[in-house]
Amino acid sequence: MVKKTIVLVLLSVVSYSEDAYERNCVKCHEGLPTTLQRMFMNYIETYSSEKNVKIALKHYMRYPNKNISVMSDLFLKSFALKEPLMISEEELEEAINIYWEKYKVIGKLK
Amino acid sequence: MFSNHRAILSNYTYEQIKRLKSLHHYFDEKVTYPRDERFKSAIYDSEEVAIFSLLGSEKIDFHKEIYKRGEKIHFIKILDTYYLGAMYLIIEVDDDQVWHQETLQTIEIYVSIAFLFFTIFGLILAKLFLKPMRDSIVLLDRFIKDTTHELNTPLSTILANIEMMDRAVMTEKNRKKLERINIAAKTVSTLYEDLTFLTLEFERENHDELIDLQTIIKERVEYFDTLAKSKQIDITLKLKRVEFVIDRKKIIRVIDNLISNAIKYNIRGGTINIILDRDSLIVEDSGIGIEEEKIDFIFDRYMRFNSSEGGFGVGLSIVKKILDEYKITIRVESKIREGTKVILRW
Repeated sequence: MVKKTIVLVLLSVVSYSEDAYERNCVKCHEGLPTTLQRMFMNYIETYSSEKNVKIALKHYMRYPNKNISVMSDLFLKSFALKEPLMISEEELEEAINIYWEKYKVIGKLK
Repeated sequence: MFSNHRAILSNYTYEQIKRLKSLHHYFDEKVTYPRDERFKSAIYDSEEVAIFSLLGSEKIDFHKEIYKRGEKIHFIKILDTYYLGAMYLIIEVDDDQVWHQETLQTIEIYVSIAFLFFTIFGLILAKLFLKPMRDSIVLLDRFIKDTTHELNTPLSTILANIEMMDRAVMTEKNRKKLERINIAAKTVSTLYEDLTFLTLEFERENHDELIDLQTIIKERVEYFDTLAKSKQIDITLKLKRVEFVIDRKKIIRVIDNLISNAIKYNIRGGTINIILDRDSLIVEDSGIGIEEEKIDFIFDRYMRFNSSEGGFGVGLSIVKKILDEYKITIRVESKIREGTKVILRW
């Protein structure tokens, strides 16, 4: 009983030590051949600014559609369209903000 | 004005976009922004936020394609594909002022061409408009030249025979008729002298000699006496003894014209005052006068202000030419219905 309690506590600590991005994005993308970094580059190649990228991402997470996807037709054909991400607004925004900060180009060029 | 720069800068943007594309695909293994010795560049996103900049100035006018800021020229290219999130690529080069000189040169060339064109066009137009006038002047000159030759002999014969006629045996009636013939012949003679002078003698060499102006004026007044008397004009002379080195024929033409005009444009029963001083000659009449705005044109050839009197309008033109030749100034003061005063100063 004590052992079970310890395992449960540890699992919940580990789970909540991950941020919204890791919880909702990284895990699903692990099996894909295209990295989240490449996908981010596709987003900025299409939407340019932080504001536009975040709006586009948020919309796509809620309403995935191959017509507005930044990925190639071949990719979509091979791995299918993602499922809508049914997480809270705050959680989604947090995940997107982390994603932006992690891969943004501004401040990284030398 | 940046036409040359535009082509070069456009080329630079093409090269820089290729480098950005490469960096985009290898980001973030490669993070060094591509640099070029020939220019500085910057990339901005669609919100006009700088992604990376090597520019000296951060003030970018995103609404213009090319412009000058300080000593730099900025060229802005909007990218079709936003590599690295860049919507705007700004290329900055030093302003070498070449465009300024080239623009000035271009303006100069165009202005010169326009000036040349309008000058030629103006000349052609002026020639076209003046042609009828020039033709009529040439025709009149030729006519005068041709007719004056033919006038000399008959005029001399008339004048000589009038002088030879014995007035004592004539009846009063005939004497008056003879006087009229004499006046008419002298009028024609004055005109003939003017025309001959104008067409044949003006270009001859001067025979300057010391002339006693007082004597000459007296002689010429006597010559016009019959004409003056016919209009009951009283001529008053106030002449000082003045000597002048001048061509006799020319000074006679001047005096004849001034006196004959004073008689011609005088009223019946009017007066003429001729005052000769050490440095001036004044011929003043009580005639019809000339309108003030027309005074400036009275020396123009073929200009006549009163068609009621005969003549070709060449008299004062001759007077002005002669006076200019001898550096004598002429001034005309006139009032309508009061008279005209011609003042010669030397």
